Amino acid sequence: MLSKIKFFMQQSWLLLLASFLFGLMIAVADTAWKPKVEENKTGKVKNMMKGLINANSFEVAAKDVNIPSDKGFIKTDIYKAVDEQGNVLGYEYITSGSGFGDKIELIIAVDAKCEKYLGYQVLSSNETPGFGDKIKGDYFSKQFVGAPAAEFTLVKVGKAEDIDNQIVAISGATITSTAMVNIFNKSIVSVKETLAQKGLIK
Amino acid sequence: MADGINTSPNYFNALTAGLWKENPTFRLLIGMCPPLAVTTAVKPALTMGLCVIFVLVCSNMVISLMRNLLKPHLRIIMFCLSIAAFVTVADLYLKAFAPDMSEILGAYVPLIIVNCIIIFRAEACASKSNVLVSILDGIGSGSGFTCALIILAGIRELLASGKFADIQVMPKGFVPWAAMQMPVGAFVTLGLLIGFAAIITAPKKD
Repeated sequence: MLSKIKFFMQQSWLLLLASFLFGLMIAVADTAWKPKVEENKTGKVKNMMKGLINANSFEVAAKDVNIPSDKGFIKTDIYKAVDEQGNVLGYEYITSGSGFGDKIELIIAVDAKCEKYLGYQVLSSNETPGFGDKIKGDYFSKQFVGAPAAEFTLVKVGKAEDIDNQIVAISGATITSTAMVNIFNKSIVSVKETLAQKGLIK
Repeated sequence: MADGINTSPNYFNALTAGLWKENPTFRLLIGMCPPLAVTTAVKPALTMGLCVIFVLVCSNMVISLMRNLLKPHLRIIMFCLSIAAFVTVADLYLKAFAPDMSEILGAYVPLIIVNCIIIFRAEACASKSNVLVSILDGIGSGSGFTCALIILAGIRELLASGKFADIQVMPKGFVPWAAMQMPVGAFVTLGLLIGFAAIITAPKKD
């Protein structure tokens, strides 16, 4: 038994030592840079949220809300956007769904009564350049600003300038457009129910 | 393919071979994933190139230092271990100090671990050469790879958006070629550049 252990150590001491030292190096780097990584993550989300509602602060209105998605449910927080006087300017939440290239992650903003959308920001997506990635552009996104917070239908032909429940698809990116409409439709019911349960909206 | 692999302890050769004679992208055709995936614009391509240089230099240095202690059957594990460690550090650094680039490059930074340029240089050079040669080889091969990425990204960005490193270059009437931003643009441009390199290096007929 001892000879086996000795043989094992003779063969692998360098591997064991290197594993320990490299592990230590990664641990040091992770410890040193983790606060900065976390700061970057929250900073990005906060900036995007501020881009949708220019609020003084964002408070968690509801934690771990279950929102239906393509693969069951996702848990998310609903944030209350508050101005300096404490007035509620609206609510924002992060949700996602499957796009054409990959998962599309959105920050969606609704008004204080949860009657109208105030817009969305794309937190992450990998849609086709020149086609699906036009969800980040004004043509598609402005259709949602001021639109009623109810179910959307996707149309292939129509006026994008008309703000209503009809969303005009991006030409050549029907799957992405459908995914976007689905993300909105699946999330808004849960968000309204949660805010109503909390007594934040009627 | 290049007709000779650099293993000689010639410092100048170690530094310059990777730039053209043994250029990983245009001459050896290895590590082809990043040239196809991260060359939609110059800035991410440059960031990827710098990450590869960092990992190549560090892993070459460490492997060269332990080359006399390496057991033959544990050699590849040791290479992978050191490469993975330095790639993880590079990935963490990008997430902390260049979050935008980290997001654009996505999974392609961690994927440097399986980039065969690095393990190839570890096997062909670092495990057989002294530390200085290994470091110079890492700088040379990494720089050759970075230059290839920048050339490819420069052409694609210029034709796809009329810009070079986010600076407008093309005149106002220029119609962008959306296809150059897509995978097809990467395949066509890379294929043409490899063909061009092959023409330049083809032996002359009498």
